[in-house]
Amino acid sequence: MLDMIIIDGLSFALPLFIMAIGGIFSEKSGVTNLALEGFQGFGAFIGALVVVSLSGVFGAASRVPYYAGFVFAVIGGGMFSLLHALLCIKFKADQVISGVVMNILALALTSFLTKSLNTSLFGNNANKFVLGASERITIPGLSEIPVVGAVFKEVYPFEIIIVLVAVVMWYVLYKTAYGMRLRACGDNPHSADAAGINVYRVRTLAVFISGCLSGIAGMSFAYSITANFSPDIYLGYGYLSIAALIFGNWSILPALFACLIFGFARSGGAAVINQLGLPSAYNDLVRPLPYVLTLLLLVFFSKHNRSPKALGQVYDKGRR
Amino acid sequence: MSEPIVEFRHITKRFPGIIANEDVSLSINKGEIFALLGENGAGKSTLMSMLFGMYEPDEGEIIIRGKRERIASPRYATQLSIGMVHQEFRLVSNYTVAENIILGLEPERKILGLFPSVDIKKANHDIAELSERYGLKINPEDVIENLNVASRQRVEILKMLYREAEILIFDEPTAVLTPQEIESFLKIVEGLRQGGKTIILITHKLNEIKAVADRCAILNRGKLVSILDVATTTTDEMARQMVGREISFTTPKEPAKFGEVVLNVEGLTVKGSAGLDAVKGVTFTIHSGEVFAVAGVSGNGQNELADSIAGLVQSSSGRITLNGQDITRASVRERINAGIAYIPEDRHNVGLVLDFTLRDNFPLRQYYIPKFSRKGVINEAAFDEHGKRLEAEFDIRSSNGMDTITREMSGGNQQKAIIAREVDMRTPLIIFMQPTRGLDAGAVMNIHKQIIAERDRGAAVLLISLDLDEIMDCADTIAVIYNGGINKIAPAGELTVDDIGLYMMGVGKTA
Amino acid sequence: MRKFTLSCLAIVISLLFGALILWLMGKDPVAAYMNLLQGSGLMEKARYSGRQNMFTDFMSFLDAMTPMIFASLSVALAMRGGFFNIGVSGQMLAAGITAHMLAGVIPSRVLVVLAGLLAGAIVGALIGWLKSRFNVNEVVTSIMLNSIIMYVITFYINVFYINPVSRQSKAVVDSARLTLSGFRWENLKMDIALAFPLAIIAALLLHWFLERTTYGYEIKAVGLSPKAAYYAGMNVNRTALFTMTLSGALAGLAGVSYFCGYLATIQPGVVPSMGFDAIAVSLLGGNNPIGCVFASFLITIISKGTVYMSSRQHIEPEIASLIAAFILTFAACSAVLDRRKK
Repeated sequence: MLDMIIIDGLSFALPLFIMAIGGIFSEKSGVTNLALEGFQGFGAFIGALVVVSLSGVFGAASRVPYYAGFVFAVIGGGMFSLLHALLCIKFKADQVISGVVMNILALALTSFLTKSLNTSLFGNNANKFVLGASERITIPGLSEIPVVGAVFKEVYPFEIIIVLVAVVMWYVLYKTAYGMRLRACGDNPHSADAAGINVYRVRTLAVFISGCLSGIAGMSFAYSITANFSPDIYLGYGYLSIAALIFGNWSILPALFACLIFGFARSGGAAVINQLGLPSAYNDLVRPLPYVLTLLLLVFFSKHNRSPKALGQVYDKGRR
Repeated sequence: MSEPIVEFRHITKRFPGIIANEDVSLSINKGEIFALLGENGAGKSTLMSMLFGMYEPDEGEIIIRGKRERIASPRYATQLSIGMVHQEFRLVSNYTVAENIILGLEPERKILGLFPSVDIKKANHDIAELSERYGLKINPEDVIENLNVASRQRVEILKMLYREAEILIFDEPTAVLTPQEIESFLKIVEGLRQGGKTIILITHKLNEIKAVADRCAILNRGKLVSILDVATTTTDEMARQMVGREISFTTPKEPAKFGEVVLNVEGLTVKGSAGLDAVKGVTFTIHSGEVFAVAGVSGNGQNELADSIAGLVQSSSGRITLNGQDITRASVRERINAGIAYIPEDRHNVGLVLDFTLRDNFPLRQYYIPKFSRKGVINEAAFDEHGKRLEAEFDIRSSNGMDTITREMSGGNQQKAIIAREVDMRTPLIIFMQPTRGLDAGAVMNIHKQIIAERDRGAAVLLISLDLDEIMDCADTIAVIYNGGINKIAPAGELTVDDIGLYMMGVGKTA
Repeated sequence: MRKFTLSCLAIVISLLFGALILWLMGKDPVAAYMNLLQGSGLMEKARYSGRQNMFTDFMSFLDAMTPMIFASLSVALAMRGGFFNIGVSGQMLAAGITAHMLAGVIPSRVLVVLAGLLAGAIVGALIGWLKSRFNVNEVVTSIMLNSIIMYVITFYINVFYINPVSRQSKAVVDSARLTLSGFRWENLKMDIALAFPLAIIAALLLHWFLERTTYGYEIKAVGLSPKAAYYAGMNVNRTALFTMTLSGALAGLAGVSYFCGYLATIQPGVVPSMGFDAIAVSLLGGNNPIGCVFASFLITIISKGTVYMSSRQHIEPEIASLIAAFILTFAACSAVLDRRKK
């Protein structure tokens, strides 16, 4: 049972984590990002569309559609995020409102398109693209270790991708010149501007990155929890990852910690219901656990939080 | 020595509703210290912002080193070796000194010979070297938020030097410094000039110009009045040309007639936002008919002192009594009712609800009294009448009368509105916190007159200001605050500006 | 007046956008939009089934519009007070289930309304309290509460309160329902929204409250500048709490007029999208109570008329929420145009 908790917990926590990293990039650059939910959904939509289209071409055994799906989910999430960047940075819209608008638009757009495309391309009237659950890998040797071995047992390939991308993103944010400029834009855009940095460009790229990373997350959910793309993918996981990054004080490693808590709360709750032999309806009682936990954590940690100083402020060069 | 490095030719710049610069032509020579003198709103900062690429002129051209340049961005200005230190420093508060300086021009190294990353060691080393060369004492690894204003200014200067700027622009560099810090700043400027840099000082402080500048251009209402040779011009002459008329710098006032004690503060201790004591055991009294002025360098507990007397923050120990009534634990509203008017420092975020109309802003601190509302229902006619009376009485100008959104008003008129609102409450105690910051000389004089009028009406006035001229002009009693404690209290006549400057630095601690 | 123009602009652009999509799909946009009006009882349909005519359609339209007015008022009030209440959906659900349970014991319309008011207010107050006491971002709180409430209610319905045929909750008894369903008049049969007059009164009252009372003055001051409000001697935390309580109460009314009125049942496992659409409506109405009524009218035309349109034109009904989303997007942009002009 412990194995199950770890395996399921990780496969939920890691997509949340990569999305939270995206959120950190965006918010550290000074753009409030409540749109992660929409980004992941739209990314998953594009990815799933590609998978469904390619699977006819490559046949069931091929792995090409799987990875192509992730590549296009990244592209899709990234492209959609540019709309948020456009509204927030170019049109100087209220960033909170824009974020929520993006989520509503993503839901409406992908629901509509999924149905229309299914009708016109695939000749059915379903509101989803069926993907099936992803295959799983067990790493020989490492997975034999007691307890900890579960980390290497029945791993979705996307979990490995996420860990690799996360390492790269950590390096970009904290070690490179771009990362340094990005963080400066979130603290004091005027000083960044005075130092010759194009604040708009840095922020747009940061939002774009958040879209790309959310795309990975969305595709991961589509390949694990829901096993298809449908409007059901908008379950509020984007908001959960925002809670994780707030709880993690806008830093990558503490955010990972928060995501793991959410993941294990979820899988642990399900395991308990399972163990007690309760009917599946009781799952609805444990599903809110991560959310309740989020609320409690936020209650305790919001006071000490230090959000990026210029977060949510529209930067207008002309204004002094 | 006298070859021009910067030339402005017939520069005109308009903003909606105002002409910031009109047909300004002047040239600045390589290696000189050139001062731009003028009141607030005379167009000095706008002119220099165009040189630094923050705005582009509507008409005219800028010539740098004999070549006509279109300076579209600060980035391009930096390429032309132009640097600027703004009035509000442009520093990332949670970065170190070195990180701030290299930002945008980061030295890089490759991790494992492959991955580029910022080479912070090299940066620290380079900056230590640079600061030594120009005699600017600083530790590259200090975090900005732990530094005082003078050190932050040195970081800004190093930022320009790191970018190999040749033309250095300073916008009101001494506004926030103590007299002693000003002296050392002027020495740094001299040193930079000897290092071959060209320096442009934007200021309205005549004695500083007299001390270091070679030449001085005077602007008034966007137009160039004259260019003077500093060595052969008196400060009086400069002042006359700056304002465009004869002015006296002191507000005429009768000798003070102290009455009863109005405010009594005993052992007041207040925690600042960082959780440390910002005001430490302060004791003083203010009488009716007295202007009690508190001088000090920014960030020595002035905000917390004013806020705690007005009730915006609670004190952690000590006693505050107003006309004998203990108000130590009273709420903001109870203190308003007890008779405390307060002109806060931050007129945009605190003093006004910027997106309210002028009509709605006037009763902001009194809307609940029977004159303005009954049983929770607002008396609109009273709002309107009250506003119109204040508007007329205090000469507040706005584009749309009572319906003007205060955000759209000029800073001077916003401040007038706040002062009108507070003065009209006719309270026994009135607190002025930095009442004239960023206002032009005419407005400053007016506000000083109002402060004196309040005193003469019999109010106790607490004036807290960073501007020593203002303090010398208005005070009957001067207190100097340093590091949260009051260092010295004395009748105004007994202290010179230099004395106050020393107390402001914590020297000669006596009380 | 400016705001009004900009809102109209947002609508016109969105409708053009929607028309473009319809045209790309090979449909006739004009006919489609006319279908929207016909479906809402604002234009005569070609034919009606028995006991139906344009008037009965219009009455159904009002029935659908009633919860939307309440929901948008809830968003608008919160917005004026500086809160972004994205938790209207959760508040609606909480109110809906409370009213259902209560009506099962004592079937009374008055009690249904009061229960909704109270349940919504409690959830709203919780959000306000977490914000003012612990500084927890209200957007995150609201979203979390939406999910928590949804799951708990889903559990409750599935285990104790299910109608096994429809897979919905059991229906509220007619004597407690806020819509008179199948009311006969002459030879017509119609649904009458009993809460509609209440919605109009609520909008007028809220407008008066915000513009003419000291409480409204305080709410607006706190919403625009909490620091200035504090300096003015207002109790900022109490005002914030009050704002969210009132906003929650309005959302509660939206909940009961939706789940115990327009619908008689609650669907498990779903967060009602009306709470989010209400954000669009409120933005469109300039966060002004009277504006909300007009904006609700417009959005309801789109949502209500879609059923008829999609059946006539063979278009996915999802197009309705898509057009609403466009309106929302452009409304968010137009708020900017407004600010920039200043």
